[in-house]
Amino acid sequence: MYREFCITRQSSWLFLFICLVFSTVINAKSNSNNNDLIELGRRIYVEGILPSGKSLQGTRAKSVQVEGDAAACETCHRRSGMGSLEGNIVVPPITGRFLFATDDNRPIALVDPRAPKNVTRAHAPYNEKSFGKALLNGLSVSGRNMNALMPQYALNNKEIKALMAYLHSLSAELSPGITDDKVHFATIVTPDVDPKQSDVMLKMINAAFSQRNAAQENYSGRMRMPLDLIPRTLRNWDLKVWELKGTPDTWNAQLEENYRREPVFAVISGLSNTTWTPFHKFCEQQKLPCMLPSINLPPQQTSFYSLYYSGGLELETKVLAKHLRDLGAKSPKRLVQIYRDNESGHAASHALTEALRDSGIQVIDRLLAGQSLDDTNEALKDLSNEDTVMLWLDPSDLSAVGKAATKLAASAIYASGIFVKDDFSAISKEWLSRLHVVYPYELGDKRQKNVSTLVKWLKTWNLPLVNDRFQSEVFFNLLFLTDLFSQMLDNLYRDYMIERAEDMLSLGSNVSVYPHLSLSRGQRFASKGAYIARFDENGNLAAESEWIVP
Amino acid sequence: MDCAVNLSNDSAIRHMKNKPIKISKIIKLTNLTAAILATTLLWPSFTMGKEPSQTVGEEQPPTQDYIRTTVNNYFIPDVDVIRMDNNKLSLINALDDGRPVMMNFIFASCSAICPMLSHTFMQVQKKLGKESQNVHLVSISIDPENDTPAVLQAYAKKFQAGSQWDFYTGKLESSVAIQKAFNVYRGDKMNHSSVILMRAKPGKPWFRLEGFASPQAVMDEYRTMLENSK
Repeated sequence: MYREFCITRQSSWLFLFICLVFSTVINAKSNSNNNDLIELGRRIYVEGILPSGKSLQGTRAKSVQVEGDAAACETCHRRSGMGSLEGNIVVPPITGRFLFATDDNRPIALVDPRAPKNVTRAHAPYNEKSFGKALLNGLSVSGRNMNALMPQYALNNKEIKALMAYLHSLSAELSPGITDDKVHFATIVTPDVDPKQSDVMLKMINAAFSQRNAAQENYSGRMRMPLDLIPRTLRNWDLKVWELKGTPDTWNAQLEENYRREPVFAVISGLSNTTWTPFHKFCEQQKLPCMLPSINLPPQQTSFYSLYYSGGLELETKVLAKHLRDLGAKSPKRLVQIYRDNESGHAASHALTEALRDSGIQVIDRLLAGQSLDDTNEALKDLSNEDTVMLWLDPSDLSAVGKAATKLAASAIYASGIFVKDDFSAISKEWLSRLHVVYPYELGDKRQKNVSTLVKWLKTWNLPLVNDRFQSEVFFNLLFLTDLFSQMLDNLYRDYMIERAEDMLSLGSNVSVYPHLSLSRGQRFASKGAYIARFDENGNLAAESEWIVP
Repeated sequence: MDCAVNLSNDSAIRHMKNKPIKISKIIKLTNLTAAILATTLLWPSFTMGKEPSQTVGEEQPPTQDYIRTTVNNYFIPDVDVIRMDNNKLSLINALDDGRPVMMNFIFASCSAICPMLSHTFMQVQKKLGKESQNVHLVSISIDPENDTPAVLQAYAKKFQAGSQWDFYTGKLESSVAIQKAFNVYRGDKMNHSSVILMRAKPGKPWFRLEGFASPQAVMDEYRTMLENSK
């Protein structure tokens, strides 16, 4: 009897063990099958490629054929699946959370910010059959015809299942950096930045965050604008300052450590006079939005997650090259560029040489070793009135060169607007009057008008106006962030944030020092040109060219 | 302003889905009262931000594919444009070269409306066959700072544009002036609408197709326009 019991007990353990192994194998297989299905769906959604390897084909308005990536869902519904708005055409969110939602778990998205009550409408949850009908016949789950822009596809059951699996996985969880009651942000400061400048930036961000958080705490369901009608989770904004130390090759490790300690939803603003490449790469690697830092050396190789105000020094080189090329017969034969032996100097001079390649203009490089008369004379030696000179120099160096340049015979002398930082106080009037400045910012009254809101805001918060360039960049960013978050509601996905930023950047008021800012899908530099400017008789810098877009 | 002035002399037809209204049924608005009425009825749909949103893929009532209006004249601004081959020329000369014109407004990084408009032009080009050589297809960028001639060349290639299909860019202010003149300016590129304009020759009225006209509908309208201009 006991033996029998033992055998039975042994058998049941064995049976349980077999079951466990079996179910683990089945689960693993099922997970792997589901992952395979999601990947097939991703290729249809993102690349417009069917599991067979053939191109996805669709027909819009029963007459216009689209194929491959032009037919891919991502084209209109975007990478996040959260849709978009173009003209009066609303492309709705189609992630699983929206398509398959029931009344007790229905999310809300704002589909048309121009009409703040225009939110996603409730509908019965899609199932495989109704989802198939939508794709094949252009009929919504309610049996209505969809807009002509939505293609009709000839997809089989497997392809429909794959798409459904992908949509279930798409923007399914809030992005890292979001907690129940907080949105975490970081800003970046590199070691070369003047502490006084970073102090001003941090005070501005902290002031804006406390203003925003206080407004939220006092929210209590009061309605100040129609957008307030839409329910959302109230989350305070929290700022972490990532102050980098040491050399750029150590920054990635520091960033990873900071991020590991506390993930953030996005990096906003940031200051650096040196390379931004480590941050650009880090943001791409972590799929972390890097929003509009105040820098001069953005990488020219664009990526999805980093947005910039302009191409910085490289933009200046392209504008100058276009300006010189467009002079036609009056183009100089030779251009001498003078710069310091530092990263910005080398980056600018190298980029200008590239931009003038095949232009017929010979480019000569000269390093400025110091500010002594010997150094400046060395940099300026043997220049004739046939030469054009480009000075990639800061105000102090520019002033020193000016002292040695009283008899400089060059035909035209250009200076960099980014290098001179609007600080002309140390430069003699006579020298200023000879300079043409490549200037990627707005000038005169329009500039004053743009920054007037910033000036008032700084006064309200008792903060100093030190430099309207970077301060207006930080201020624009803070206002823009507020707009973005008010429109994203609870759909806090990083990809969605970038997509909204692409679409919205040109829509708000321009409180920056740039003439206009605009992005779109794939565009990563918001301001795209520069003036050639000169000092007028009153000592004011004024445009002598149109806004040049290279 | 242009819209109000121009539309006051217009006739308007609406093409319901699969139910085009015959030209004979077009309501002719000739007196002042009718003109004011037409302006009042049509104006809201041409005002920035006032257009009711249509939703792709969500329930909505069946909508018309497009609305055609005829506009006696648009005042073409005297601005320079840059063709995708880097040639600078005046817009007036570009449009008044004697050929019938079909025109739309696009930008290269646009993801929904512009590809539809460009695909439509691509298929109209095919349908026209040899005749396409006599028609000037014109696409004007509403994002000219991004749409450099090189960007437009790549875009043209993607839509297999033939030699009669020109893409134009230029200064931002010029693009805005052109958009305003043809009443397609909506304040920002993201607010743009789907419009095809066509004219048989200088001095003749413009056909304005607002919405999504299929390539066949564009062809039909084109034939009607040529017929009317005789």
